[in-house]
Amino acid sequence: MIDFKKVRKAYPNGTVALHDVTLHVDDGEFVFIVGHSGAGKTTLMKLLLREEKASSGRLMVNEFNLSRMSNFKVPYYRRQLGVVFQDFRLFQNKTVYENVAFAMRVIGTSPRMIKKRVPAILNTVNLLDKIHNFPRELSGGEQQRVALARALANNPKIIIADEPTGNIDPKMSLEIMNLLLKINKLGKTVIVVTHEKSLVDYYQQRVVTLKDGEIIEDRVGGMFEE
Amino acid sequence: MKHYSLTYFIGQSFKGLWRNGVMSFASITVLMSCLIVLGGFSLLVYNIDVNLEKLGLLNEISVFLELDLEEEEIVSIENQLKSIPDVTKVIRTTNEEGLEQVENSMNLDVSEILDDYNPLSEKFTVYYSDNPQNVSYEINQIEGVRKVYDRLDLAMQLESFKNGIIIVFIWFLAILLIVSLFVIINTIKLAVYSRRHEITVMRYVGATGWFITLPFVFEGIIIGIISSVLGFFIEWYAYTYIEKMVTTQMKMINVIMFDDIKLFVFIGFVGIGILTGIIGSCLSLSKYLKS
Repeated sequence: MIDFKKVRKAYPNGTVALHDVTLHVDDGEFVFIVGHSGAGKTTLMKLLLREEKASSGRLMVNEFNLSRMSNFKVPYYRRQLGVVFQDFRLFQNKTVYENVAFAMRVIGTSPRMIKKRVPAILNTVNLLDKIHNFPRELSGGEQQRVALARALANNPKIIIADEPTGNIDPKMSLEIMNLLLKINKLGKTVIVVTHEKSLVDYYQQRVVTLKDGEIIEDRVGGMFEE
Repeated sequence: MKHYSLTYFIGQSFKGLWRNGVMSFASITVLMSCLIVLGGFSLLVYNIDVNLEKLGLLNEISVFLELDLEEEEIVSIENQLKSIPDVTKVIRTTNEEGLEQVENSMNLDVSEILDDYNPLSEKFTVYYSDNPQNVSYEINQIEGVRKVYDRLDLAMQLESFKNGIIIVFIWFLAILLIVSLFVIINTIKLAVYSRRHEITVMRYVGATGWFITLPFVFEGIIIGIISSVLGFFIEWYAYTYIEKMVTTQMKMINVIMFDDIKLFVFIGFVGIGILTGIIGSCLSLSKYLKS
């Protein structure tokens, strides 16, 4: 569950990126966050990732109150999230297996568990046959699937994808979106931040539209309004 | 800490050292130089102390009495010497004992030459804990005292030489330690910079601050260990070389054998090396530890 209650975010330079945003996302929902540059999408993402703290209001994600949470608890909160970036952020000197295993190793998962779980996750994203390849040997779509596998590695409750199709061709974009829907059907909440109108319109999911730091529309089966 | 995490930290630390080879080399060289200088000065001061103690220059005064004193007067002087503040012990050497010592040292029968005449006076050896000038002054005030050998000038010269060395040593050490810390901080910062993408991903997947920073702290520790071990062997070689030179050319100087102190030197080197490495790493990582 994600719950924004009158969340406001102002930066030290005086810019107000979000104005009293109220938004509720239930467990297992699939939500597109859309809007043009400067609409507040990035700030919303940063608040969800707890890179930034809200200036006022209350932001709850499951049992975590992000507005009051101490820095010490942030890593444990982030283990509930799986994050996918537009630029993949894969390690070029590590194989597909090692990239996914890395996410598990750094939270202290045992080598035995890593060996067991990584192939299973790669199977979910249809990349088992590329397990020993390096990222440079993969297409953009495949690299994003590795990033998605890495996001799933620690079995998070929520997947946050920041422009996941921004660096890949339209055909691959559909493949990534289909995978995100598949992951959503497995019971995970999926938040996709994008400005790709065609994808949003095609998938007919819940669409939250931001403009100048405010939610101007929140509709299930909605479209990306220009 | 789980064993596989420890293996990971150590592996990452060595990778980091290798990746920033030039800076790692600079850190090791500077810290090693610092430790060699520190060890060299410490051993020099220690040797001076041992030699001073052996010579008995610092806490001993020889007091010679007038020749024609009665036994009661001698006992009275002894009591007066004992009552001087800071005097810890007074040992009497009678003129017969004195003559015997002379005979033994010269290996001849002096009594025959002197025809049983003893030209030596009674002597007291006065040991003190502090204030040598005051003790010497008080002794000189006692009636019946003919001569006082306090050798204070020599003792004070040696003391001031030792203090001068200590002052130079402290400044040198402070400067070298600051330079070592500075180089280590920059080495670790470079290591953090070269792994910034990795750190970003680690943070997003929920790695704790300690998990992110410990490989860098281990890197500092490894720099400290390598520097101290190398420094120890160089110190050993240099000291043994000087020791041989001094013992053959300046026989009156007593030089401590390195074998007698090598364990202390090694522990000191490794301890300071590791501590410097940890402090350097923590200073350059403070912002990661906070977040």
